[in-house]
Amino acid sequence: MMKRMHAEDELTKAAATGNTCRVQFLLSNRVNVNNVNTFGRTPIQVMMMGNTPLAHLLLKYGADPNLPDPGTGSTPLHDAARAGFMDTVQLLILFNADPNATDHCNLRPVDVARQADHVDVVEFLSRF
Amino acid sequence: MEQESVVQYEPVAEIGGGAYGTVYKARDRDSGQFVALKSVRVQTNQDGLPLSTVREVALLKRLEQFDHPNIVRLMDVCATLRTDQETKVTLVFEHVDQDLRTYLEKVPAPGLPIQQIRDLMQQLLCGLAFLHSNRVLHRDLKPENILVTSRGQVKLADFGLARIYSCHMVLTPVVVTLWYRCPEVLLQTTYATPVDIWSTGCIFAEMFRRTPLFCGESEVDQLGKIFAVIGLPSEEEWPNDVTLSRQNFSPQNPQPITDCVPEISEKGAELLLEMLTFDPLKRISAFNALDHPFFTE
Repeated sequence: MMKRMHAEDELTKAAATGNTCRVQFLLSNRVNVNNVNTFGRTPIQVMMMGNTPLAHLLLKYGADPNLPDPGTGSTPLHDAARAGFMDTVQLLILFNADPNATDHCNLRPVDVARQADHVDVVEFLSRF
Repeated sequence: MEQESVVQYEPVAEIGGGAYGTVYKARDRDSGQFVALKSVRVQTNQDGLPLSTVREVALLKRLEQFDHPNIVRLMDVCATLRTDQETKVTLVFEHVDQDLRTYLEKVPAPGLPIQQIRDLMQQLLCGLAFLHSNRVLHRDLKPENILVTSRGQVKLADFGLARIYSCHMVLTPVVVTLWYRCPEVLLQTTYATPVDIWSTGCIFAEMFRRTPLFCGESEVDQLGKIFAVIGLPSEEEWPNDVTLSRQNFSPQNPQPITDCVPEISEKGAELLLEMLTFDPLKRISAFNALDHPFFTE
């Protein structure tokens, strides 16, 4: 049987699968953009990093881009930088993501981008 | 399969679920990277896991050894004993944070340059030809499980799971999209590797259109939408062993494919029609599609 999901879990699911319409629907029905799901994560922490329009939507609704992952200390900027999604990286910076945040390995977003060999992201983040 | 619990991977969100089990986006604590956890609950007895499950997992592990660039990596397989009768098998796959749906949504007007479509299609067909040469069907190819990395590398996901799941499926109605489904599956007749080529054809058209080609709301509606474009198959072509008769559909002639996909090139249109061929035996194979003049025009 399909179990009923909490609104927070539905929102993180829609964010993680890149379902922008569903995210828009849930946010306009007053699901809080900074509430955590069953696993203690907010939508922006688990969103499909390559989906920049979706990231923009979450940020416009006031998503906090500087929440670190409780397990590894990664911020969404670390994750976007590691995966090499330049447009999402730029957008996060525009919405005040901290380019000097460090994860539990003491790495900044620019460091994880360098490890993953994303030259364009490294070049962009080096300016901060 | 290691008898260990999946502590290395911490779920961060449920991203899929259904009759067979649940899919999670998770974090690999060692590398810090995201992974996809796909688990299936399997009934066990004193002999352990059913042979069918062991076989299917072994097949996926064998595929992994080829390290093919156009399929997602299978990073780990874990078996967790839940009760005396039930074991949870978890497959840990590489997670790519962009699918083809998102990729196409982001493309500004007037759409993808044909050179880019050629590149995406070539990679998609390479991945498919690899799976088919190893006798693996995808069976559910759609933009949501065609992943595209930030470097533009295409990776197929969710292949070979259908058989693992179907062995253990509790029959619950799960909403699945019909839009990429081929006529032989819609008509519930026998099927094989050509099913994936049909889906690839639908996706090929969608790369130009940036909106799905056939959006049916039921099996019959889906077939109706297909025949409105490719024409109603002849009496001779209609399979014998199906319950749905040809008389349920109104006679229609094939429409020029360029009416549906005006942006396509001449060779592209030829390839598309060879993929959207009603008779699965006459449908082009992944290998032959890769040799099509569309890729060299």
